[in-house]
Amino acid sequence: MEFLINWLANVPGFAVPFALGAMGLIICEKSGVLNLGAEGYLLVGAMIGAGSMLTLPGHPYLALTLAALASALLSVLFAVLVVHLRVNQVISGLAIVFLAQGLTSLVAGKMGWTNRAFSGLGDIDLGPISDIPVIGLIFFRQDPIVYLTIALFIVASYVIYRTHAGLRLRAVGENPEATDAAGIPVLTYRFAAILIGGLFLGLAGGYLTVVVSKIWVDNMAGGRGWIIIALVIFARWRPWRALGGAILFGCIEALIPRVAAIGIQVPQYFVLMLPYAVTLAVMIWTSLSKEALSNDPSALGRPFVREERR
Amino acid sequence: MNRIPDRTDQATAGGPVFAPDEQFLQLSGIVKSFGDFCALDNVNFDLKRGEVHSLLGENGAGKSSLMNIVAGLYTPDKGEVLIRGSAVAIKGPADAAKLGIGMVHQHFKLVRPFNAVENILLSNPTGRYDQSIRRMRSLIEEKAASVGFEIDLDRPVASLSVAEQQRVELLKILVAGAHIIILDEPTAVLTDEEGERLLTAMRKLAQDGSSIVLVTHNLKEALNYSDRITVMRSGNNVDTVNPGEVTSADLTNMIVGQSIVEQPHPAESIGEVRLKVSGVRTARDDSARALDNVDFQVRSGEIYGIAGVGGNGQDELVSVLMGLVPVVRGQIHLHGQGDITRARTDERRGFGMACIPADRHQYALCGDLPVADNFAISKVLEGQYGTWSRVDRRKITAATREALSGYDVQGVRREDQRAGLLSGGNAQKLVIAREFSGQPSAVIAHSPNRGLDVLASAAVHGYLRSARDAGAAVVLISEDLDEIMLLSDRIGVMNSGSIVAEFDMPADRHDIGGAMIGHD
Amino acid sequence: MTDGVPARQLWRLHLEIRDHMPLWQQMLVVGSGVAAGLFISVCVLMTSGVGLSALWNEFVVFIFTNPRNLSAVMTQSAPLIIVGLAAAMAFKVRFWNIGIEGQMIFGAIGATFVATFDIGPESLRLPLMAIFAMLGGMAWIALPAILKLRLQVNEIISTLLLNYIAFNFLLHLLYGPWQDPVSSFPHSEQFAVFERLTSLNWGKLDFSLVVALGLVAVSFWLLISSRFGFLLNFIHSNPLMARAMGVRVAVLTLIAALSSGAFAGFSGFVVSAGIESRMTQSFFIGFGFSGILIAFLARNNPLTIVAVSLFVATLMIAGQSLQVFYQIPFATVQLIQAIVVICVAASEFFMRHRIRLAS
Repeated sequence: MEFLINWLANVPGFAVPFALGAMGLIICEKSGVLNLGAEGYLLVGAMIGAGSMLTLPGHPYLALTLAALASALLSVLFAVLVVHLRVNQVISGLAIVFLAQGLTSLVAGKMGWTNRAFSGLGDIDLGPISDIPVIGLIFFRQDPIVYLTIALFIVASYVIYRTHAGLRLRAVGENPEATDAAGIPVLTYRFAAILIGGLFLGLAGGYLTVVVSKIWVDNMAGGRGWIIIALVIFARWRPWRALGGAILFGCIEALIPRVAAIGIQVPQYFVLMLPYAVTLAVMIWTSLSKEALSNDPSALGRPFVREERR
Repeated sequence: MNRIPDRTDQATAGGPVFAPDEQFLQLSGIVKSFGDFCALDNVNFDLKRGEVHSLLGENGAGKSSLMNIVAGLYTPDKGEVLIRGSAVAIKGPADAAKLGIGMVHQHFKLVRPFNAVENILLSNPTGRYDQSIRRMRSLIEEKAASVGFEIDLDRPVASLSVAEQQRVELLKILVAGAHIIILDEPTAVLTDEEGERLLTAMRKLAQDGSSIVLVTHNLKEALNYSDRITVMRSGNNVDTVNPGEVTSADLTNMIVGQSIVEQPHPAESIGEVRLKVSGVRTARDDSARALDNVDFQVRSGEIYGIAGVGGNGQDELVSVLMGLVPVVRGQIHLHGQGDITRARTDERRGFGMACIPADRHQYALCGDLPVADNFAISKVLEGQYGTWSRVDRRKITAATREALSGYDVQGVRREDQRAGLLSGGNAQKLVIAREFSGQPSAVIAHSPNRGLDVLASAAVHGYLRSARDAGAAVVLISEDLDEIMLLSDRIGVMNSGSIVAEFDMPADRHDIGGAMIGHD
Repeated sequence: MTDGVPARQLWRLHLEIRDHMPLWQQMLVVGSGVAAGLFISVCVLMTSGVGLSALWNEFVVFIFTNPRNLSAVMTQSAPLIIVGLAAAMAFKVRFWNIGIEGQMIFGAIGATFVATFDIGPESLRLPLMAIFAMLGGMAWIALPAILKLRLQVNEIISTLLLNYIAFNFLLHLLYGPWQDPVSSFPHSEQFAVFERLTSLNWGKLDFSLVVALGLVAVSFWLLISSRFGFLLNFIHSNPLMARAMGVRVAVLTLIAALSSGAFAGFSGFVVSAGIESRMTQSFFIGFGFSGILIAFLARNNPLTIVAVSLFVATLMIAGQSLQVFYQIPFATVQLIQAIVVICVAASEFFMRHRIRLAS
């Protein structure tokens, strides 16, 4: 029982990067831009978060803000490539990941940020509510970003499904030609969607260092970006399903360090494979289900060019 | 002159209530080129208040380009657009909408998973979202009632019929307050009856003070429903005339420059049953209409036309015949080969089946690859032009050169030029050159004249007839009833995924039209 | 339509889509892209404390005047050429094989399996290791290939996830059953002399490079001359049309994907049995991306792949000495590659569009 409570109380912290990242990707991909650079944005966010904590200790919110902004800056490069220069979105996304891997390792190394621990952002304490047995520990003794994530999900899904801007965003991803004919600036919407996606992913990356690990290590996103991409496909671009998926992966990640502790004899590296294997299994399961693909943005991956005729 | 009666009544009875000669829209000296190609060369056009003005011409004459300039999709290289006498710059569709211009394009600009209200709201945003969606709904209902449209506002437009989708497009521009309404080939996707209903509704709109531009290549429509007709030919406007003062022969001359009217050539010797399709069904899939018990047979030396409104299973039928979609139940039988229901596409092609698909750039050509490769692929697949370890480029080039001149494919400077650069007519001739290079025993042709001008389409029809006369069984699937009537020796009508009626030629056009829309 | 097609206004510039550009102009555009990428990279390296003269020395003088460094570049280029071919083979059928590193790992595992358990006579040991390496790579790409063809599972993500799974499996072997009993370090036991590719060197000529060039010839024949390659071109540019013409798209895609895996597995064998002479836990790092980059820059052409691989190999060798002498992390090599790819990809825009000032 205690194992279960401890485990569940740790889930939100592990789920937040997946949730924030998935939300960012959903916004970006709803506009029809396939963004494979997620891993790169996470890395940049994480590195800047750590760097900011090391240079200006004691300002975790500033660090998270800078993390989001830095990643948004990288997303501007991606946006110019795919929106304006119409470069293949797969190649651009991969290039962004490798650029970010090299850049973060170089910058963090030169600045001396690598492998240096710092004190990050702690959990909130709501006094008596947080002390309620079980429920208090799981729901009211988390860090503030957990609650911010839930708020962001409410706001983002409201904007996507209940505002003019959201209607246009979805239209841009479904049929850019029709949306253009309706007088909506397709490229501006895509640019903005990529930028917002970058902000979310950067915040997720910053969370990894500022809140979770409290240390920067090269390549520390460890494939979470790719899991997020799979998560979004599995969620069929629906925000609340993505949140569910994020919690599932949070459960798995929170379980890994606990498996050995409770004395289950599984080879260590097979346990570490778990998130990737589960992601793959989920992708296969998603493709097996007969669910209609109607929620996929139809124009995903396709650059928009006006006035092109045969 | 065969005018329909109610049109004459309208013209004489309820006269317009506004100054009839008020100029709404004027285009003067419009020039627009795409690269080296001059699409519009000094074109003039004017539109009066309360008139239906037909813009008539063959495919590629520049009608759509001209109207796309008015709708703000293209910017002219030269020339002026005047609204009520003052020059305006239309930089985009939004500018056009502000000036009261709305266009219904040939390819609908609808977001398919959205319903009608969301689609219309997209181009007409007002106030807060939740309020405006309610306000929009009542506004749409009101507009729909005034034009006499019935429409389901809650279903995604993807699930609406083509005619309903067209109504959504029209309501979209009416809600935006358009009083200059441009319809680009609106009846091409409709049955005769649906077309009549639409055009009658447009006359009513004109009577209420709007101006309608009807872009069409259909002479009868122009003559029967418009107040004036402007004829365009290869990027120029030829003349503007009143429908009462010209005959359809005059118009034909103006459209094509010289008179060519294709004449039917019935089959001379019809042989044994070559292709037999019995009780074919396919699995239902969200995106395509399933075939439901399709039955027909085609004999050697005949053209079997399959008429029908688009989206009734035509695309599926082509795929099934060529082995691209599995058959759930039923049989396809090819004379000399027996049951080919389970045969793969390459095997069917090996049996002498040839295919001219409707979307040639999607399914028949590879735009990025050379003309020569596009020509050679069918024979390379059969094992010709070299061996498995080496493709003989020299043989391919020589064979391509011969075929290009044999089938009069123009615009190829080198055989390694990309196929995507060919114009519609030449691309189609290239497809035919390839498909007919092996003396096909059965030909599946889907809308072979789509996007072609009169001369090219006459040439394509000629090739189909000569394939028939050489003994092939030809299946001609087309949504263009004129094409079906012109070429077919026998006609089947496709509706809701099955062949619902068959007619021997000569058949009555009206009966065929009835079968096309009869029972759902 | 004949030549140019107008596209749209971008800022105050007028864009037109180009249908054709002469080859020399294309080379010029790509060349400028590479030059711009290198210029940015030089700036990055200079801001991180490597002087211009040092760069000149490391990248040009030391490599092209010292035969030992030059031969290091040659040796390094062999596996790069092979992963480049692996990527090209897959990209030719629009199969985004991002899992080259995972396939390399399983290739090396296959080869090491043969070496560890002394399978076959000594004279046949190397060929057997090569065959098991290719089988390992093929096995590791088979699942994503079948998932894509049968269930439309996105291969970018499945191949990538399999990289992480392969890596953890490698660690499991190297920290477990296959750990070197001599040193107790987490790498495999050193291969015997007859299990090393270096034993076959022809004097100064590296044997792995000979093998790589042999594979280039095979790929050239497959992709450019043979009927298989002719059909792959159609699958590459319009799979719908290829299918409608009766090309067996699924079968050919599977064959190409499996060859891609086999090539990747083979390069795992080349690195392990060549440069490293054992299976280490990091032998594959960076090869996956380099393969993609090489195939992309070489436009899937086997001959161009050789040239691009030599360029990347130079970067890697120079990067190693930068790491030693200037504390520049090796990931910088990856950074430079990414910058070059981005610049070249961006330069293609100018190949496809004509830009004029709007009047």
